[in-house]
Amino acid sequence: MRGFRTLATPAKYVALVAYLVFLAFPLLWLISTAFKPPQEMALIDPTIIPAEPTLDNFRLAFEQQPLARALLNTLIIAGTSALVTVLLSIPAAYVMARYRSALSRMTMLWVLLSQMFPFILVIIPLFLLLRDAGLYDTQLGLIIVYVVWSMPFALWMLRSYVVGIPVELEEAAAMDGAGKLRTLKDIVAPLLVPGVVAAALFAFVSAWNEFLFALVLLRTPELQTISLTLVKFIGAEGVARLGPLAAAALVATIPSLVFFAIIQRRLVGGMLGGAVKS
Amino acid sequence: MRRAATIVSAGVLSAGLVLAGCGSGDGDGDGAGTGSGGDPVTLTFQSLAFQPESIAANQQIIEQWNADNPDIQVEYLQGDWASVQDQLVTAFEGGTAPDLVHYEASYLQDFADRGWILDLTDLVPETLTDDILDGAWEAVTFDDSVYAVPFLLDAQVIFANKTLLDAAGIAVPTPDDPWTWDEFADISTQLTDADTFGVAWTLKDPANRMLNLAMNFGGGFFEESDGASTAIFGDPEKEAFQRIYDQLYVDKSAATDAIGMGGSDPLPGFFAGQYAMLPKGIWFRQQIIDQAPEGFEWVTIPALEGDSQAQAAAPQTISVAAESEHPEEAMAFLEYMLNPENQALLAKGDWMIPASSAAAEDPVLTETPDWPVAAASGTFLEQAPFQRVRGYEEWKNKVANPSIEEFFANAISLDELGTRLTEDGNEILERYNR
Amino acid sequence: MSATATARRPATRPTEPKRKGFLGLDRDGLLLAVPALIPVVLFSMYPLLRGIYLGFTDAEAGRNSQTSFTGFDNYTQLLGDSYFWDSFRIGLIWAFCVTVLQFFASLGLALLLNQKLRLRWLARTLALVPWAMPPVVIGIMWRLVYHPNAGILNSTLKDLGIIDSNVEWLSSLSLALPAVIVVGVWSGMPQTTVVLLAGLQSVSEELKEAAAVDGAGPWQRFRNVTWPALRPIVTAMTTLDFIWNFNSFSLVYVLTEGGPGGSTRLPMLFAYEEAFRYGNYGYAAALGNAMVLVIAVFVVFYLRRRYREEG
Repeated sequence: MRGFRTLATPAKYVALVAYLVFLAFPLLWLISTAFKPPQEMALIDPTIIPAEPTLDNFRLAFEQQPLARALLNTLIIAGTSALVTVLLSIPAAYVMARYRSALSRMTMLWVLLSQMFPFILVIIPLFLLLRDAGLYDTQLGLIIVYVVWSMPFALWMLRSYVVGIPVELEEAAAMDGAGKLRTLKDIVAPLLVPGVVAAALFAFVSAWNEFLFALVLLRTPELQTISLTLVKFIGAEGVARLGPLAAAALVATIPSLVFFAIIQRRLVGGMLGGAVKS
Repeated sequence: MRRAATIVSAGVLSAGLVLAGCGSGDGDGDGAGTGSGGDPVTLTFQSLAFQPESIAANQQIIEQWNADNPDIQVEYLQGDWASVQDQLVTAFEGGTAPDLVHYEASYLQDFADRGWILDLTDLVPETLTDDILDGAWEAVTFDDSVYAVPFLLDAQVIFANKTLLDAAGIAVPTPDDPWTWDEFADISTQLTDADTFGVAWTLKDPANRMLNLAMNFGGGFFEESDGASTAIFGDPEKEAFQRIYDQLYVDKSAATDAIGMGGSDPLPGFFAGQYAMLPKGIWFRQQIIDQAPEGFEWVTIPALEGDSQAQAAAPQTISVAAESEHPEEAMAFLEYMLNPENQALLAKGDWMIPASSAAAEDPVLTETPDWPVAAASGTFLEQAPFQRVRGYEEWKNKVANPSIEEFFANAISLDELGTRLTEDGNEILERYNR
Repeated sequence: MSATATARRPATRPTEPKRKGFLGLDRDGLLLAVPALIPVVLFSMYPLLRGIYLGFTDAEAGRNSQTSFTGFDNYTQLLGDSYFWDSFRIGLIWAFCVTVLQFFASLGLALLLNQKLRLRWLARTLALVPWAMPPVVIGIMWRLVYHPNAGILNSTLKDLGIIDSNVEWLSSLSLALPAVIVVGVWSGMPQTTVVLLAGLQSVSEELKEAAAVDGAGPWQRFRNVTWPALRPIVTAMTTLDFIWNFNSFSLVYVLTEGGPGGSTRLPMLFAYEEAFRYGNYGYAAALGNAMVLVIAVFVVFYLRRRYREEG
């Protein structure tokens, strides 16, 4: 967009600053609220930088709700689902990339469709199904659901990575008498590492952030994930203790932010797949 | 089957639990099942307490019980008001409901109908029957069966900025001689000036509250015939709506910017003197104490009087899940948990009125600010028609709350409100009455 | 997301075209694909089909409740349910506004980020943050921003002299939906921006320079060179954005729970309440089916567009 340069540079900076404000303001406010004592919260003229910053809200947040437990739960659930998602997706993605089969086409169709259906349609039967299987209100049940629902994207991403690996490499291996499984393990898998990392972190972040499935499928407070715990800070009649709420929200964001920072570049590549590269 | 899965995840969890350190205190309930001799029974109790003091009171009671009763261990689970309905519906459906369920009387009819909570009629011990107010028992009795033990009562009162009242020369009424709605309207106008509104009605999710206030003028909202309820909206129902509406849009003595507020939203304005009076539930005292700036003087004004001071007794309750394997043990625990001494503790924790008559005399309570006003409210709480309506939750949430909000935002007329509450409302109720 | 990439299918080379077993896979292929397929069939396809079926029954919660097939009863009821229509209307307004605003906001940001500007790194980083935040946190954060007294928005606007008394952003009948839409835009901007930016970066520099040499102004160059290259991505992205937005739940659940006066009761929220608050599974599933119909219209529209773009 070199031609864009003709648009006066100051105007561009004004626009950029407007974006910066829009994007950053809520974040700053969240941080600010997290460090404010309750009296300062009830001021009619709120301050951006807390006059008497305090860590009390964080202490309260951890005391009021089992926040540490929830973080740990979420870590276990998100971590396990990411791992399983990737383990199941690698071979399947390989098949999809290397076989021109009805199954591959059906899977691609499902990948697309799965993005479209309103969760409500799935969640009622899932709830009944998991209940009958004794998996309702267990973390295992939720993990299964997360695996199934982050697989489409993982498959999609990994498939495009497999496509990028020259077939000749495998053909050479096949000549040496290696089976499909060995080829996958010895030749393809090592080349897939960047894609696998991206897919795993993506699955992790999705699970970490997910709310609706967890809301319906986990009931025992001790099993619950961080999003569910956060909602609980909003008490009766919406009486929210804003300070601890903000503090807890801040704590809940950090892990997914960190992971996200690591993958964002790859994620973009994955999302665009072959479309833009070519 | 569920066990197996839980054990797997519990195994993974317990390792991490140690690291986590500050869990919910006495978290690891499953592990208790390995004691010697007869296995102790573990009961789960889901509480909706949310004020720190009240959570502490709950936990204190449970710890004491667990220490005294090694055979019946109680595990505390933290629920929350915001999602309790959805949570209980799915938990009951999924077969994972806690043994003891804390909720509110108004919603129990549906739960009883769906077969989720246990008929406690033959289980309730006399000590509880005698101590707890009759009005509270009535609220949890459906078709002659008792479905819960009531324990905490709320009442609508008014909080006022003492400094502003004094400046205007307005005396604080006593519980024996409460303000009438007319007097309240006049005083609100008197307190209104350029900087201050006489009153801030916070009307977010207003159905429960309005149904309560309407009882002052005999508004019942529902008629029952042959066990089926129909919604009605006549003059008695209209009265309280009209009066608040007039304050907002005719007298302009009520702040229109407060109508959408809920919870503690109006406090900054109240503390800053923008609102002189704040009608709220009696439990709200705690919020004010917690957040008031130093030197802020406030006072509790007794509930207003219309044709009467009547309000609905909608006690918070504890029920036993129908699927519970240990109903007797659950009741034994309830008998302890809701004895007068503990009820006083719980009422203090939530700044509410105990359903126990003995607890109301406890100094733990009588020494809280403006206790006489709170205690007096206990006397005019009575059974309200809406508490035995099948489908009340859906009526309230789907039709009543949004429509009443629209009415007070001056978006629909009182008649339109009536049409929605009755016509739309009855369509919903019809399904439940089938 | 996936649809973006289908635009041009990379050449696949079947390694073993001879032996075709089940669904065109040989033994090894099946062995590799089946572990992934089982959970997919069990926990995604089966529930989906059963969900569609539930929409034609009177299934409801309760210990002794019995479910029977009721055909189109739920749908006749839906047609006469004014609360359903309200919710659908709100859902469409929401999805449409968020998608369109999100697109223009993102396009603007992507164009800026594609330039050599100072502070670009900061904007790039910030632009991605919402993506990594749980929707619940985003909801909570904006509740704090919108808070009538303790919120930063009102106090800033007052300091700037734009308003003189506090505005009830989330509890005013007329403002709640727009306020929630802004949050929707905020939270969805990163994905769209990133995709558009990547698209912009792939636009051939030579073509633009050639156009510049021919004397095309910036707008003409955008229209004639950049836009055509971007268009497939834009169609795919907006279609998906629309679908996601139409199906969104968590943000509004945390921000307003559908209030005030039902003015932000999105279809998903409505359906969730039907199912898990009132226990009307059948009716809720019927609602889900109705939502699928709406979405299907957009997908058909998208596929037709793509088909035409590919010639």
